Amino acid sequence: MKKIIYLIALISINSFAQSKYLTKTGTINFEASVPSVEEVKAENNSVTAILNSDNGEFAALVFVKGFRFKNALMEEHFNENYAESDMYPKATFKGKIKDFSMDMLNSELEFKLDGTLTFHGKTKQVNDVVISLNKEDDLISASGNFKVLVSDFDIKIPRIVRDKVSEEVQITYKFDLKKR
Amino acid sequence: MKKKILIIITLLAITLLAYNYMYQDHRDIASEEPEFSITPEQIVNTFKTNLKDSEKKYLNKTIELTGIVTESNSKDLTLNHDVFCQFLQNQNASLNANIKIKGRCIGYDDLLEQVKLDQCYIIN
Repeated sequence: MKKIIYLIALISINSFAQSKYLTKTGTINFEASVPSVEEVKAENNSVTAILNSDNGEFAALVFVKGFRFKNALMEEHFNENYAESDMYPKATFKGKIKDFSMDMLNSELEFKLDGTLTFHGKTKQVNDVVISLNKEDDLISASGNFKVLVSDFDIKIPRIVRDKVSEEVQITYKFDLKKR
Repeated sequence: MKKKILIIITLLAITLLAYNYMYQDHRDIASEEPEFSITPEQIVNTFKTNLKDSEKKYLNKTIELTGIVTESNSKDLTLNHDVFCQFLQNQNASLNANIKIKGRCIGYDDLLEQVKLDQCYIIN
């Protein structure tokens, strides 16, 4: 009888042991610069990202106010006029890595990611975002980059700065996900 | 002649003002007086019960918190499992120490149920 209870306990522990990898200090950079004018770029290193290694589900949460610019006035304008971070303080990504398998992660490998990106209160489906994954012991590093359009998120660039800010935004990310 | 000098001085002053406006300094959280002094449990609970109002109240504000260090890494620490604090410089608070910190609230992380602060400083 005791053995059976132990067995049940063991099985249930195993099935409830969620294999999640996460970081609270992931990095996301974006750049919407136009050549030969002051660069428009920012870095956020407070990103929370979680990977479920059972099925490849991936989620990231970004606080918009955590984007730091070199130019303080640009940071203020980004928060007040473009991202409207008082009204929309969060940006999120929810998606799934296609054909994900933990067994393949012994060397750096590229996967494709499908999901939805929410920013400035607008949600956009993004498909086939390249994500390279590499596993070392209890750490999975995930990185990649992709492009979005400012207009996809209902952000209007005023005419006077239209030749200083690119309509196309390059986003780069890097997460060192630790097993927990 | 006098008029010319006056015009030049005015132009210089305007340029200087414009330059200072465009390249103003970042906020210095370390020198700001905290707007709120609160415990880690209190701030997490207010965010859990009323997200929208708490965001209006606390986001981008300098907050002072006292609590027990439950996790400590080189550039971040966690207070009472509830508040995640990031530092610009390296920090070396020891686990289970009772400390007081100051930082800028950037949001409530509903994935981990933690409030996040950046640009933190240890007061004592």
